[in-house]
Amino acid sequence: MTTDDTAAAPMVHAIDEIVAKPGEGKALLGDYLARYAPGARARGMTLEQILVSPPMWLDDQSNTLVFRWSLADAGAWWQMRFVGGNDPDVAAWWADVDPRAVSRRRFFASAPADIERLCDV
Amino acid sequence: MYKLTRLVTVADPAGVAALADEIHALATAHAAYRQLVAPTLVGSHFGGDLLAHFAFDDAVQRADFDAALAPLLTTPAVVSVDGVAYQSGLGGRSDPGLANGVYRVLLLSVDEGADPVVVARFEGETRMMPHYIPAIRNWQLSRADKAVGARRWTHIWEQEYADASGLMGPYMMHPYHWARIDRWFDPECPDRIVDARLCHSFCALEASIL
Repeated sequence: MTTDDTAAAPMVHAIDEIVAKPGEGKALLGDYLARYAPGARARGMTLEQILVSPPMWLDDQSNTLVFRWSLADAGAWWQMRFVGGNDPDVAAWWADVDPRAVSRRRFFASAPADIERLCDV
Repeated sequence: MYKLTRLVTVADPAGVAALADEIHALATAHAAYRQLVAPTLVGSHFGGDLLAHFAFDDAVQRADFDAALAPLLTTPAVVSVDGVAYQSGLGGRSDPGLANGVYRVLLLSVDEGADPVVVARFEGETRMMPHYIPAIRNWQLSRADKAVGARRWTHIWEQEYADASGLMGPYMMHPYHWARIDRWFDPECPDRIVDARLCHSFCALEASIL
């Protein structure tokens, strides 16, 4: 296969999907931005998008919060992982979140056009 | 096959070669079926200064050797030892004739009380790494029978590579690793079941031992 060495390395994405406990959505979003986002930015993550579903604050049902972060490349992903994985404040943050959530997922993704280059290692 | 691995950290790295010679001779005297005793390479993390790995035909031979080895590893010259005794788990070989390569072992500790179904999924996904990452030439994932060291090690993930760049490059950088497997290790992921403390150790390999 051929690759274009002059092109930027493929960007990767980290996505947090949090289903908040009923009535917790708005407060959880605020805490995420105040407590988690600054440290994540310091670890090289760029917050690209926030989505709230449904697009209204529910007080008797769950809102789903989606945060899409970008990282420059797979190397930046590992840098984020090593720093965040050894930071007790990060662990404490997620320990606080989980009782306020019905469920939570974190997954990693790329644009389809970047798959071939990401796998060419 | 009954295996024993010891990752030995010494007080004075200058003493590694002499200790390796002693251990090698002891293993030979105890009829180790296979053995690899070599200094670890730069980049190992909690992997010790010396990687010592042995395979025996039966559990009694292994236990006898383990007992004989213990005094060598409890001297003031030895700072710490992480290790496991285990039977070979499932694995595969795409390059059984591999020579002058690199052997890598990862000792990991799955949380006590982790759902066995989830643990089996973690094991199954880990065993698929060589399917997606051909730089892993030979491999084996095993469960520990007995562990010593900083954690109660539950699993042994062994791989062989043509050279260290296969471990540092494709193994680390392939998305099957960081975007799929690592969630079992990542404290930020709710799927995490593996303790953050790992032993990542690798050394030069003359001929395949898997």
